This record gives sequence, C-alpha cells and structure tokens, in this order.
Amino acid sequence: MLIIENLTKIYDNGFKALDNISLEIPDGQFVAIIGLSGSGKSTLLRCINRLIDPTEGRIIWNDIDITAATDDELRQIRRRIGMIFQQFNLVKRSSVITNVLSGRLGYVNPVFSLFNYFPGKEKERALAALDRVGIREKAYNRASALSGGQQQRVGIARTLMQEPELMLADEPVASLDPATSHSVMKYLQLLNEEDGLTILCSLHFLSLARAYSHRVIALKDGKLEFDGPAQAIDDERFKMIYGEEAVQVEIH
Amino acid sequence: MNDSTPPKTNNALRTLLIIVVITIVLAIYSYGWTVTDINLDKPQEAQRQQNLGEALRDLLSPNIFQQDYTFQAATLPFVMTCPAEGAPAAVSAPADAAPYILISATCGVANDVVTVQGFNFHPETFARIEWIPDGGEARVRQPIGRGEDNFFTDALGRFEVQIEVPQIRGSSGQTHIIQARVAVPAGLPHFSNTTGVVLEKMVETIFLALIATTLSILPSAILSFFAAHNLMKPIRMTLGNLLVSFALLPVGWLLGSALLSPIGTFALNLGQGTLFGAGSTALALGFAMVAAVRKPRVVETTGWEARLRSVLLAVLVAIIVTAVVGLLGGLGLSGDMFFHNLGSTLRPQTAEGPAVAANFGQWLVYALGDVLTSFGNMIGTLGQLLQLLMLPIAGVIGAVTLSSIGTTLTLDALKHVDRVTSHMLGGTLGAICGAILLGITASIGMQAAWLGLLTPLVAAGLGGGVFSLAYQRLTGSKQRKIPGESTSQRLSSWVGIALVFLATFVLLNVERAVVEGVLPTQTELLNLFGMPIYFYVAEAMLIGAVLGGVAGALAGTRAAFPFGDMLYTTTRTILNGLRSIEPLIMGLVFVIWVGIGPFAGVLALTLHSIASLGKLYSEQIESIDSGPIEALQSTGANQLQTIMYAVVPQIIPPYIAFTMYRWDINVRMSTIIGFVGGGGVGFLLQQQINLLRYREAGVAVLAIAIVVSILDYASASIRQRYI
Repeated sequence: MLIIENLTKIYDNGFKALDNISLEIPDGQFVAIIGLSGSGKSTLLRCINRLIDPTEGRIIWNDIDITAATDDELRQIRRRIGMIFQQFNLVKRSSVITNVLSGRLGYVNPVFSLFNYFPGKEKERALAALDRVGIREKAYNRASALSGGQQQRVGIARTLMQEPELMLADEPVASLDPATSHSVMKYLQLLNEEDGLTILCSLHFLSLARAYSHRVIALKDGKLEFDGPAQAIDDERFKMIYGEEAVQVEIH
Repeated sequence: MNDSTPPKTNNALRTLLIIVVITIVLAIYSYGWTVTDINLDKPQEAQRQQNLGEALRDLLSPNIFQQDYTFQAATLPFVMTCPAEGAPAAVSAPADAAPYILISATCGVANDVVTVQGFNFHPETFARIEWIPDGGEARVRQPIGRGEDNFFTDALGRFEVQIEVPQIRGSSGQTHIIQARVAVPAGLPHFSNTTGVVLEKMVETIFLALIATTLSILPSAILSFFAAHNLMKPIRMTLGNLLVSFALLPVGWLLGSALLSPIGTFALNLGQGTLFGAGSTALALGFAMVAAVRKPRVVETTGWEARLRSVLLAVLVAIIVTAVVGLLGGLGLSGDMFFHNLGSTLRPQTAEGPAVAANFGQWLVYALGDVLTSFGNMIGTLGQLLQLLMLPIAGVIGAVTLSSIGTTLTLDALKHVDRVTSHMLGGTLGAICGAILLGITASIGMQAAWLGLLTPLVAAGLGGGVFSLAYQRLTGSKQRKIPGESTSQRLSSWVGIALVFLATFVLLNVERAVVEGVLPTQTELLNLFGMPIYFYVAEAMLIGAVLGGVAGALAGTRAAFPFGDMLYTTTRTILNGLRSIEPLIMGLVFVIWVGIGPFAGVLALTLHSIASLGKLYSEQIESIDSGPIEALQSTGANQLQTIMYAVVPQIIPPYIAFTMYRWDINVRMSTIIGFVGGGGVGFLLQQQINLLRYREAGVAVLAIAIVVSILDYASASIRQRYI
C-alpha cells in the first residue's frame, strides 16, 4: 500500500509543482497518471522515490515513511522501487548487460562493484531479465546500438534486477512510435499481472491509459483533477483535464 | 507608442551612442598602438637589416651535418721592411706535385699589397691565408676585396688572392711566415655534434612532457569531480553535520599523525626489510581487507550495534590504508636496491663507466639492465616520497576517518534536537569551527605579508553570512533557506562582508603587512606541547570564534548548507588561480627549489597541467547526460557506484582526448621551459641564442618544429578517434 498525504513541492524558483496531493494506491494496481506537460506528473513520481525532495507532506509505503528516511534507509527503499524514464536513461557507451547489472548495485558488495565485478549468479539474473523482455541476444551490444523500443526494454530489465514491488514509469512511451509503445506497455502489463507489481505510469495519451490501467489519476497545475477508472472520463472531464481546446487523439 | 515611426530623439541618441562608441574604440586602439611601440623607423636602419639578414641566414642554415677536414699547408718567408742589400730571392715553383705558393714580393712594410698564388692544392674547397709573426700566433689575413676570411680553390686546386702586410709593432727586420691553409674533406659528411646534443635534449623534452602529463592525470581527474557543478550542486549537508566534521578534522589530524603514522612506519620498515616481512605484511593486509569489505549477512542501518560496527570498520579501513601506503613505500625502497643490483649484474660497471656492448645480444642484455636500474630508481623515488610524506598522509587519513565517524555518530542525534538546542549547539560548534578556520588562515598569513589578506577575506565571508542570517531573522523571511537570495538580503550580506573585512583588516593590522611587506610580529602567547600559539593567531581565532558562533547560533544545526556549492567554488577558484600563473613563472620558482634541470620543468608543467586539465575535465563532466545518474540513484546505488557506472563511462573518451591534447601542449611548453632553467631543448636554445650561434640554434628550432608538428598530427588523429 502506497499512501501519499498532503504532498506539496515548491521548487527553488518558487514554482509550485504539486499542491496538496493525497492518494492511496493499493498493491498490485496499474495506475495511469495523465495531465498536460508541467502539470506535475514527473514531480509526483520523483517524489515517491525521493529523486526530488518534497517540500511538505508524507509518503508512506508498506508502513515506512519514505519522506523521513535517512540516506542509508532511502537506498534500501529505492532498491524495491523500479523506475523507467522517457529518455530510457541508459549509459549509451556501456554494454546492454552492464546497464542491466547496474540495476543490481544496491544489492551487491559495494567494494567489488566498483571494479565492475559481479558474481556469476547476478550475470545469470541479468540474462534472465533480458530474456524476459525478449532481447537476450543483444546482451553484449552497446546500448546505443539498440532501437528506442529495445532501449526501453533494457530499462525495464534493469528495474527487474531490483526485484521491485513498485514500478514508477515516467512517460515510458513518449519517445516511441505507436506500435513500439504498445509493445512496451504490454511488458508493463505483464509485470503487473504476472509479478503483481504496483505500477504508476505517467502517460500523454488517454487511449493508452484506457487500454492498460485500472485507475487513472489526472493532474492539472499540480492539483488532483480526477481520480477514478479510465472509463469515467467523458468529454467534459477530458476538457477539464486538458483544457477547452484539446481534442482526443487515439493511439492504436 | 507608435512602432512604425520611432521617436526622433531615440534615433539621435542612437547615432550619438554609435559616435561615442567609435570614438572610444579608436582611442583604445590608438593608445594600444602607442603603448606597443609600433614604428617603422627602426626596422629600416641598415645595420638592423643586415643583422636580421645574417641571423635569418644562419637560422635557416642549421648545421645539422658536419664535415671533418685535414689541412694542406704551404709556407713562404716574408721579411718585414726590405733590407738595404735588396729583397731576398723569390722562390720558384718546385718540380714535384706537392702544394706550394708563390708570392709577388718577398719583403715589404705594413699595408703593402702582396699577391699570393697557390698551386696543386685540393680543388674546390675553402682556403685561407695566415700570417705568422716571428715567434707569434698565426693570424688570418682577409683577402682584399672579399667579405670573409675564406676563399675557394678552383677546379685545378689553384687560387690567387691579394693580402695586405699587417701592421706589427717592432717587427722591422724580422722574417715572418705567410701560410696558406687549404681544407681537405676527410671522410663523408656526418651529423654534427650540435645535432647529437639537440637530439639528446629533444628526447629529454618529450619525456619531460610525458611525465608531467602522466603525473597530472590522477590529481586533475579527482579535482574535476569537485569542480563539476552538476555533481556538486545537489550535495547538501545540514550545518550541524558540517560543523561536527570540520571541528573534528584537526583532532583527527593530530590523532592520525600520532597513532597511525607509527603503523605506517612499521609497515614501511617491514616492506623495506625482508621479502618475508613484506610478504607476510601483504598477506595480513589482504586478510584484513577481505574481512573489512566482506558483506555483513544482516544489513542493519540503525541501532548502536550497527553504529559501533561502522566506527570499527572506519578505524580498520584507516589502519589498512595507512599500512598499505607504508608497505608500498617500503617495497619501493627495497625494490630500488633489488633492481639496481639486478641491473648492474646485467650491465657491469668497468673502470671507464658502464660496460659497452660488443654485439647485439649483449646490447639487448645491457639495455635490459639499464631498464631495470631505471625502474628501481623510479620506484625507489616513489617509496622515498611515501616515506617523507608518511606523517601528513597519516594525518589526512586520521582527519578524514575521525570526521566521518563523527558524522555517523551524530547524524541522527542532530536530526532530533529541538529548536533552542539546535541554535545553542550551532553557536558552540560554529565558534569552534570559526576559531579553527581563522586560526589556519592566520597561520598561513604569518608566512608571507600578502597572505595576511586571507584572514580578513575569510572573515568577511563569515561576516556576510552573519549579516544575511541576521537580516533573515529580523525580517522573518524564512521562505528562502539559502543565504543571499533576495536583493535586500544580498545587500545586507555585502554590507556584512565589507564591514567585517575592514574590521578584521584594522584589528589584525594587516595594513602594515600590505604596505610595508612586514610579517606579523611573532609574539608567543602560550606554548602548547611545543607548538607555539602566536598572539596574532589567537586574535584571529577569537574573531573567528565570535563570527562563527554568531552565524552558527543564528542558523542552527538543522539549516541546510550548500556544501557541494562550497566545494565547487573553492576548487574552481584554486584551479583558476593556478591556471593564471604561466608554467614559465612556476618554472622559475621550482628551479630555486630543485635546481636547474628537467625536474623543475616537470614540476612546473605538472602543476599547470593539473589546473588546466582539471578545468577541461570538469567541463566534460558538466556536459554529460544526467539521465543515467538519475536512473542509477533510483535503483538504490550509492554515490560512488553512481559515479562509477553513470559518470565514468561517459567521460572516459573525452578524458583521453583532452589528455592527448595536454601532452601536445606540454611538448610545446617543455621546449621553452628550459629558458628559465627547466631542462629540455629550451635551455640549449637559449644558450645558443645568447652566444649568437644562430646556426646551432637553427638545429634546435628545426627539431622543435618537427617534433611539435608530428605530435600535433598524432594527438589530433587520436582525439578524432575518441570524440
């Protein structure tokens, strides 16, 4: 269970990205977060694993107050929270398997890891993770040699190394073409259904949210605008979330 | 406002502005022209033009090659002042093929013109006429109508020149000798001695650059991380933690030099002593290290047990690191002996110096011996360096360890103190840290007059903080936690900086130091375990305690301190300062310390390369993709792991490229570092220019041009491959 209480984030320049957000997300839910650019989607996701420190409010996950965790505790918490990104955030010059193994850094011996040493069973785990996202044969290629969709799958494989219970996906398909988008979303769905992962996924397209999520959270100017099933978003709601001039675009 | 027709006044103003700007620019350039003394009169002087011609001709005729000569000589007597009984009989041509000369007169007085003819000499080579007075030194007579002493024989080995009889006081009646000397080439042309020396110095130059570049890589790579804004900015510490770790630094230093350095020295002696000692020490250290880095089964991050364990671990690591440093030093020192002996066994010393190889196989063995000896020499020097630096190294390790232990132990406690305690604690810790800080700067200030400015400057920084914090308190603006954000707050901080600077300046009497160049009086206040505390330092510490105490009390221990920003600014300032000092000037100073020679050049270039590479490297870090850093942080990797996996792979290619570029620059610099005594080909070049030996200088210039352009090309192509 992930509980967000009165979360507010004000950046140093005075911009209020999140305004008093409160949410409860039960385990195993696939939650889509929608909203315009700048509505606070990324900030919300980053507050959960404290890549961004919230200004006020609390985040409690499995009865642990993430917002009050010390650096050491935070690392322990982060190990169980996977995150994938719009720009994939792979080290492009490193090999695919090194990128995947780097997801395991929180678990392995920190001294040996500095010399790029991973035990054999960790390498097997990495290959198995790559196998799950269907690119085992690319393990020893450079990350930069892969296509966008493949890179995002490497990103997913990296989070699998963390044995996560929660997955944060920050616009994971915004840089991908429609067909590839669906393939990546299907992998997320698979993790949600097979492994029971809780997934928080920010999306641009309502159609994707409808197709994959159990629940949609809409943000507007940092405030919670909508919280409910995707089917409940009608034209009126849509215009409230995206503005009067917005038109629904389908992604197939 | 109507946009289509802008007001006329605006136009006129703009025209006026343009005219003013043009006038100012003209004034600047005309003044610059005068200051740089650009004039065309001197270059037109005939003497200067002739000198230039000669210098250029010589520079462009480098004596790379050399021809050895033997000399043919033929002489005839000449009587000074023809005797009354008539001139001596002229000698006629001998019958055999030996070289001979004929002269047009056998006697005469000064300034008489004598024609000298030569026959049967070596053809087409240069010759000169010498006059040998009775019992005197031979002197060259320049032939009439030629610009130089030398003239050439024709294809048949003949010549005919006219010379004047020299004026030699009291020579009347003596018989002098006229001698023709003709050079005969002996053997084939070969490389001149100058070429040999230049090549030798060029090798020295290239290695000077190589060593300087290599030595600078590690320090500048480390510094570059501290000088990268994107890595440093997120690092924040609460003021309490910072103050605790800072206050513990000097204590840790003392403890480290007292307790750790004996361990280091012991390891050093073991390493230096016997192979057995070294081996067993290394083995013990290996076990200790494995024990230290072994992952604990149960990961516990809170509770006293965990804290005690982390403290013990920190102490163990400190001991291991010190012992490893000592062991390495000892191994270096003993390795020196070992390899030196091995080397001299392979290449024995004879009475005339090192043995000379008779064949290729022997040459190989001797070369191996030389390499081994040099290797021993190298590791010996490194071992000696560690031996000399054992005390400060132990001090630094002790300081870092104690301060990190302090942070670990107080981290939680400081987090949970209440407001009043936080401010009281802040005041106390701030006073201690302020005293330490200004105590250090004042001690530095006692070394040189202008370093005395350091104390008022640092105090002014503290003062700025105090005023800015006080402003925050008075106005109650707590929104902005970082000092110096709003305009009025910034203003108050500047007022504080100015006031405290002036006050400290007056209190410490820095004016005397700045104006008269006099060091502060060394009045001893008290003596602490043989460490004198001077009145001047105590005064500065008092000022620091007051300022630090007030700042700490105002801010409280829970205030966020932009520690990374401070590190960044400090590193950048030092790097920029170092970079602004030219290596030639550094060379001058190092020559005083280590003497004339390439070592001084290595030190100067290393120091400058550290500053320069540190900046170039850090700019590369600043331009990396921050995405992977974010991704790695989100997996629960620690900071060191994040840097190793997200930053390092991205910066290796540009680091290689910039290192090559720096080596290229260092080769150029090392060719002239010799001008100030820093070794390399520059020293030679300067000597030859000073002696007006432009042909020899030409060889050095040519060698520099060739080596620099080859390296330029090589470094460019290697860089291209990596960027």
